[in-house]
Amino acid sequence: MDFEDRIIAALNKSLGRKTEIKLESRLKEDLLCDSFDTLMIISALEDEFSIEIDEGNFSDIITVKDIVHKLRSAID
Amino acid sequence: MFCNDFYKRFYVDEQAAEKIGFNPYYIEVESGLDEWIRMEGRDIIDLASNNYLGLAADIRLKNAIITAVEKYGASLCGTPVSTGYIDLFKTLEKELSDFIGLEDTVILPSCYQANIGLFVSIARKNDLVIVDRFAHSSLIQGAKAVGCKIRPFLHNDMEYLERLLKRSHDYIQVFVVTESVFSTDGTIAPLREINELCRHYNALPIIDDSHGIGVLGNEGKGILDAQNIHDFNGIYTASLGKAFANSGGVICGKKEIIKYLRYYCPHLVYSTSVTPSVLAGIKAVLKIIRNDSGVLKNKLYLYKNILYDSLVEAGFDTVSSPAPINSIRTGSRENTIATAKKLYEKGILSTPFIEPSVPINEGRIRFIAGINLSETAIEQGSEIIKRINQT
Ligand SMILES: Cc1ncc(COP(=O)(O)O)c(C=O)c1O
Repeated sequence: MDFEDRIIAALNKSLGRKTEIKLESRLKEDLLCDSFDTLMIISALEDEFSIEIDEGNFSDIITVKDIVHKLRSAID
Repeated sequence: MFCNDFYKRFYVDEQAAEKIGFNPYYIEVESGLDEWIRMEGRDIIDLASNNYLGLAADIRLKNAIITAVEKYGASLCGTPVSTGYIDLFKTLEKELSDFIGLEDTVILPSCYQANIGLFVSIARKNDLVIVDRFAHSSLIQGAKAVGCKIRPFLHNDMEYLERLLKRSHDYIQVFVVTESVFSTDGTIAPLREINELCRHYNALPIIDDSHGIGVLGNEGKGILDAQNIHDFNGIYTASLGKAFANSGGVICGKKEIIKYLRYYCPHLVYSTSVTPSVLAGIKAVLKIIRNDSGVLKNKLYLYKNILYDSLVEAGFDTVSSPAPINSIRTGSRENTIATAKKLYEKGILSTPFIEPSVPINEGRIRFIAGINLSETAIEQGSEIIKRINQT
């Protein structure tokens, strides 16, 4: 699985949404994430990539693609 | 206007209720929880309250409460550290500890307060709180107030929990927090497994047994008894406003932690004690449960099953649950409120859950049939439900 797919898989698992999750999906508007869902996502991403994520760092995330960018720069 | 912008913050979104022409919240109740509940001048079948064992208006309870009021009056007008600690308080702490099977207990005015006070008192900033995704808001608010890290795990998913525990070595203390019976769907936590995982990873389990106490286990002793857990080193909390038909919340656990809370839990130390009438009411419930738990529970599950069958027959998307709770999936908040409206108009009071109590578009309607309801009421309720989607 490539990097993006791993992120989408982690989101799918943590949210259990019926709507398809794409890179363009917006967390709030399209995936209807509340603040607890965001914690679930962070938890799933930490699990998938064995990293620590600070919630504060996540506050400007709008789309799934933003997560990809953020994680990529964190991991590189 | 004075502080105009400030007052603009307080917008309540009532669109769904307005569109459907029904607001299911804050409807005035004009009676106690007798065989029927009276609302807006009508007798309604109460499938909404948490009066599982039907004891809220029981004559034995009323008499115990009247006797306590005659002896102590309405209130001791003090917190437990001062005049609020009456002899009844002390004996009840002991009785509840024995009943639940833990060393010691404190009693607070509500379990919401108990859960927040607990975390505020025992957690520190560098601790980690691992919490079931569907845990009650009071369990999360306390951890948030402390500012420690919170990581949710998928509901009742032990593999997920273990992975979080494996990665949690950098924290000073790790807590694993969950409920026994999850009140929206009636699922039950595998506390035995959670307890073992906690032992293995040196984490402290915290269990909120609000919907389990009085209902689960032998003599209604709750989740620890139901799952045969005799080596629980964690902390147990529960509301006494549900099956126990009173109000108040307990925190139980090892002597040293309870002693610490008695002096350092601000939500206990700085809040007026639960009233004598409530203490007497709880004591009376303990006595009734000890004597009659088997009979009460049989009736509770009989009622639950009758209603479950009628919900299935009506074509609702039912959630199957081992607890005495029936729940249906109703999707959007509009559909959830519209369904609750139909039921209410036909004479049934239910509990609709919309966001933020549940995730968006995962609305639920819950039905709890307390055993104060007469068999006639249950039969009528079941007939109403069966036909509700035909009209
Ligand atoms: C799991 C859980 N914990 C705590 C509470 C709060 O209890 P209380 O009503 O005693 O404040 C509730 C009640 O809604 C609950 O369901």
